[in-house]
Amino acid sequence: MSTHRIECQVNGESHSAEVASRRLLSDFLRDDLHLTGTKRGCETGTCGACSVLLDGEVIKSCLMLAVQVQGRSITTIEGLAANEQLHPLQKNFMQCGGLQCGYCTPGFIMASCDLLKNTPQPNCEEVRHGLNGNLCRCTGYTQIVESVLHAAQEMHHGN
Amino acid sequence: MREFDFAEPRSVAEASQMLAEYGDDARIIAGGSALMLAMRQRMLAPTHLISVARLPRLHGIDFDPHQGLRIGAMSRHIDVARSELVKAHAPVLARMAAQVANPQVRNQGTIGGNLCYADPSTDPPGCLMALDASVVLGSTRGERVLSMEEFLVDYYTTAMESDELLLEIRVPLQAPGTLGEYTRFLRTAAEHRPLVSVALVVQREGQICHQARLAIGASTPIPTRLRRAEDCLRGKTVNAQLASEVASIVAEDIQPVSDLRGSSEFRRAMVRTVTRRTVATLFGIDINEGVAA
Repeated sequence: MSTHRIECQVNGESHSAEVASRRLLSDFLRDDLHLTGTKRGCETGTCGACSVLLDGEVIKSCLMLAVQVQGRSITTIEGLAANEQLHPLQKNFMQCGGLQCGYCTPGFIMASCDLLKNTPQPNCEEVRHGLNGNLCRCTGYTQIVESVLHAAQEMHHGN
Repeated sequence: MREFDFAEPRSVAEASQMLAEYGDDARIIAGGSALMLAMRQRMLAPTHLISVARLPRLHGIDFDPHQGLRIGAMSRHIDVARSELVKAHAPVLARMAAQVANPQVRNQGTIGGNLCYADPSTDPPGCLMALDASVVLGSTRGERVLSMEEFLVDYYTTAMESDELLLEIRVPLQAPGTLGEYTRFLRTAAEHRPLVSVALVVQREGQICHQARLAIGASTPIPTRLRRAEDCLRGKTVNAQLASEVASIVAEDIQPVSDLRGSSEFRRAMVRTVTRRTVATLFGIDINEGVAA
């Protein structure tokens, strides 16, 4: 089994690590870098709890090997808040009740980041389409969609 | 997941040599989204993964006014969906790619990986077949071009030799008046894999259909061209009646698979419905006009 030296940026910080070829990105983030905000859910690419941004685009970290991120930049849920200020998505998920148990929330927020980058003012249908790679077993989705719509408004109007 | 070596060759020849050396113990990894699933469930346990991510030949989307579109095998679904060249020269392909699976998979999975995996319940191969696309395979022995029908052999099986790589997909120039429509049917909104897909590319003048290529996917082991249905459309004025006739021919001619996601009879019924709707959408006709539902 081969091991590989990878260099990557995680939440703006440079990391250099020796990883086994079969190390999953989700395990690298959680077990090697101790960034446990990224969740392991189904681990079969279905639930989206392990979603992170890779060069600004959302992917499922349980379906990617750590060696595949050589030279690339990753953002996890821990990288969203700036100077103790929660990201508008984080704030609005709290305010709109976009979570109950919270396990799926980091994944939903990372997928929402990608969605709002490409569609800054989505309608309800676009939000549902943009989040269809993520599962929540508590909320029924209505409040998740509301959270994203409110965050989009706040990010657009800056209030 | 079992242990394996991970290699990143820098040329097609080097990759092909590795594939020849390791034989069945090697697998190519492109985006990896489907392969990781198969390996983690131990359906596949290669001892060598050969990454094609750093092969320049497999990247990029270009257009040549004589040849048409060249789509590098490493193009991700999102790249195909957003490409201005694809949107201009094969808009139905861009619309299809925007619907594959979910955002995370579209950002990771590649069109080349998708075709090589040859999963029956997926979107790209049927759409490419209707567009008369071909694939370019490469190895140390040279390159060869296969049509989609030659390339796709069976359930999870392609015509690739063990030392070959998929380099690119070619979509030929579409004649003036060409229009395409791709429709997928999901059993539930939460599913990401179609149960039925219908891809129809026609050359249309008003309501007259001059040429038609129709491919049914996801309900058969590999996408299937429906030539009797194409003949039925060709040269005709398309109305709701004809859309129903074409749908009936398709339902008669396919051999749908039966599995946990849907019985063969359910798939046949949905293929009929989705075909009728696809023809109607493409020719802008009211589906219920003069026909009992």
